[in-house]
Amino acid sequence: MSHDEKTCKQLILDCLLEFEDGTMPEAEHQELQKHFEMCPPCMNFLTTYRATGRTLKMLKPREIPPALADTVMAFVRARCGKKEP
Amino acid sequence: MADEQATEDLNLVRRIKAGDDGAFEEMVRRYHARIYSLSYGVLRNVEDAEESTQDAFWTLYRKIGTFDESKKFFSWFYRVALNAAYSRARRRPSLPTVSIEDRMPRFAQDGHFAADVPDWSVAIEDEAAARELASRAGEFIAELPPAYRDVIWMYDVEEIPSSDIADTLEISIPAFKSRLHRARLYVRQRLAEVSSPRPAAEAAG
Repeated sequence: MSHDEKTCKQLILDCLLEFEDGTMPEAEHQELQKHFEMCPPCMNFLTTYRATGRTLKMLKPREIPPALADTVMAFVRARCGKKEP
Repeated sequence: MADEQATEDLNLVRRIKAGDDGAFEEMVRRYHARIYSLSYGVLRNVEDAEESTQDAFWTLYRKIGTFDESKKFFSWFYRVALNAAYSRARRRPSLPTVSIEDRMPRFAQDGHFAADVPDWSVAIEDEAAARELASRAGEFIAELPPAYRDVIWMYDVEEIPSSDIADTLEISIPAFKSRLHRARLYVRQRLAEVSSPRPAAEAAG
């Protein structure tokens, strides 16, 4: 019944990032958690927001081409006209 | 630890400025993997990412004299590398520009969602499907205006600390958070558009 109860709009647009990044005060976090649990659209939004984050983590290239450092050095040496040491 | 890295960077920078080629090589060995990773993120192609990495170090070699030593070296260099990657990306056929606003969640007057919110997260439970979706997510990030593209890439993909990103992009933490959230909302929505909310039964094939 409190006046500062958030609408779905406020929750999603203004609070979701801090709800997720761990910087939100515990009491507020608990209050919003209740909203999510009682509100299927918000819960689906949260679930897919998290799924988006997990998907993005998969984009990081895990393999660096072998000898890339040597390739870079050769490139720079060639550009500045220096001989290989 | 971060301070230690900055101190070591600065020592290398000073030695490079003094013409010490060994220091430049140390810098290449120290950062080529991170610069490659960043470049790959923007370009999504091994060959382009390698060439962009070379460009970034070549620019470093030529422009190190203009680096202001009161700033954090890696932030400066990261930006150099981002610019190298974007300038290479611009040579490709251009992507359609998008409106972030059109992809923000919609709410009714009373603050409730204006429409159903399907849960498509089941789509990433399968490893192969998740990889496919990740690849699409990379394309969606590339559609974003640079201010948004940079923060979501650096934070959500590269997992660089927020304070370092704010420093690199010369923006405040609140501005960083605002851009990150909008970028995530955009990518979430784009993923929703290409994901079936239903299990595989209705999927093509």
